[in-house]
Amino acid sequence: MSRKERKARAHPPKSQTGNRPPAPPKAPPPAYPSVRLSPNLVEIPITARGDMNVPARVWADEELWKQISRDRTLHQLINVSTLPGITGTAQAMPDAHEGYGFPVGGVAAFRARDGIISPGGVGYDINCGVRLLASEIMADELGHPRLESLIQELGRAIPSGTGKGSHLRFAGEDLDRVLAEGCTYLAERGLATAEDLDTIEARGSLATADPRAVSDRARQRGGDQLGSIGSGNHFVEVQRVEKLFDLAAAEALRLRVGQVVILIHTGSRGLGHQVCTDYVRAMDAVMARHGIQLPDRELACAPFGSPEGQKYFGAMCAAANFAFSNRQAITWAAREVFRKALGGQGGLRLIYDVAHNMAKLERHGEEDLVVHRKGATRAFGPSHPETPAIYKGIGQPVLIPGSMGTASYVLVGTDEGFDLSYGSTCHGAGRAMSRTAAKKVQSGAEVRKGLEDRGIVVRASVGELAEEAPYAYKDVDRVVEVVHQAGLARKVARLVPLGVIKG
Amino acid sequence: MRKRRHRWLDHTSEVQLHVEAESLAGLAAEAGRALSLLLLHDMPARPEGPAREIQVESVDREALLVDWLNEILFLAEVERWVAVEFDVLEISSVHLKASALGVPVAESPALVKAATFHGLAVEERAGGLQAEVIFDV
Repeated sequence: MSRKERKARAHPPKSQTGNRPPAPPKAPPPAYPSVRLSPNLVEIPITARGDMNVPARVWADEELWKQISRDRTLHQLINVSTLPGITGTAQAMPDAHEGYGFPVGGVAAFRARDGIISPGGVGYDINCGVRLLASEIMADELGHPRLESLIQELGRAIPSGTGKGSHLRFAGEDLDRVLAEGCTYLAERGLATAEDLDTIEARGSLATADPRAVSDRARQRGGDQLGSIGSGNHFVEVQRVEKLFDLAAAEALRLRVGQVVILIHTGSRGLGHQVCTDYVRAMDAVMARHGIQLPDRELACAPFGSPEGQKYFGAMCAAANFAFSNRQAITWAAREVFRKALGGQGGLRLIYDVAHNMAKLERHGEEDLVVHRKGATRAFGPSHPETPAIYKGIGQPVLIPGSMGTASYVLVGTDEGFDLSYGSTCHGAGRAMSRTAAKKVQSGAEVRKGLEDRGIVVRASVGELAEEAPYAYKDVDRVVEVVHQAGLARKVARLVPLGVIKG
Repeated sequence: MRKRRHRWLDHTSEVQLHVEAESLAGLAAEAGRALSLLLLHDMPARPEGPAREIQVESVDREALLVDWLNEILFLAEVERWVAVEFDVLEISSVHLKASALGVPVAESPALVKAATFHGLAVEERAGGLQAEVIFDV
């Protein structure tokens, strides 16, 4: 198999004319009654479908609501609203789109005492998330030739592509400690600093992790992938701070216009994929015993307090520790590259690292809730105990990667958002177009040329680019504006790409 | 050339497979071939080396199809071996044993995270069975 073929990414192969079965009609998405509660919020009442336990809410303006209503996002959100122990409302963020089980951009909170936990509510890429590193150099000082060289060096140091592992090897007891301790263990190994740990969600180490609940198959599948990006929409992007919206918050984050920053978007790789596969299967087999009936089998779940629920929670937290460690290992590699290339100006300070595919046990009011965020970012305000001490004055940083070639955003969580959306926001721009449709608009080579014409340095396989083209996604500026206007989080900075590294 | 009896349906973020066959064994084999093409970027591959046995046990025929496809994914990512031709030796609604020929790959092929249960259906149709499976990619 050629190198070109190996690097090609999964996409629906072309059907062959003349020897295929007739096209089956795909059912249109059902229509549900809805009421607009505010310019940025729509509610689907509990009466919309007989099996709903709570109403469903979608954070969207008129345009995003139209886009979200086109596919099966609302149907999937209503399926979520039927799950046992759900409280308040089932929610979709403004970047929501059709997924499997939960919609992508879905948020739902279940009472810990009598509600469920669902692997399908977290997804296969457990603790997919984003971290932002701030450099000490300005884009003007860096210049294009040095930028090109940096992108190439970063591409060499940080493996990307489907199953590629990194230069780091964690196996046996080492891997157990990554799963149990996450970034705390990486700090012991010299791959993270004390300051890093202060600026990672949960300090990059979930104490509720149970490595024993992670199967040998999951370890085999992803154990050698620590320090690698993977494929799909994951990337490392070198960016420039283009604009500041909140000067006080930007000062607290030490962000300046023109500064070079690095955004890392990846998750738990094959290890997390297999943990989800293992537990969807395991829960599917025991739901009848727990008396759970579902509108969609991918929502397979178990009571949070049951042995099956607790075992999945332990495994998911272990996979989450692996993901935090993965982003930390990539940070370590990026720091090496920057130090070699820029010497005294090569420092990279971690601003924050936040998950957007996770189930977390959180206190909301008088209740412990298992908050599922699938394609939704946690966004805690200034007064929340889990907001890092150095960000107490402004709120937890919220990092929103745009689609390739478009803007990304730094926001901060609000105390108001904790009540409105369980302290959650969007996680990106959100797909608006299928991969097949995206490839019909432009070829990968055309997408690459479009990016390069704008001065963006691209290190990516051509096959990947067409599927992830900017037009395949919603308008990130609009999505973030809804979050900002609705009070779920507050805009701080807009970042624009200088160079991108993808699988 | 073997007739393809599968096609891909539009999905906003993932890929959705529609597959047809005369029997459950044929359905599993065709779904396996579709997945191999997805993994190999639609490049037909000539199998190399000895056949391998793949066996799965599940709770019903829908789960059997998902487990079967996830086993093929696991072998592709961990063993760096993509199964491309299938001879189903034994099959019931809860058990599948097949002999498969495949191709070694130097690195893991295209990324498919999992076959999911979402929208999963194995249904009777005139002259056989049809199924739909969504893959997380």
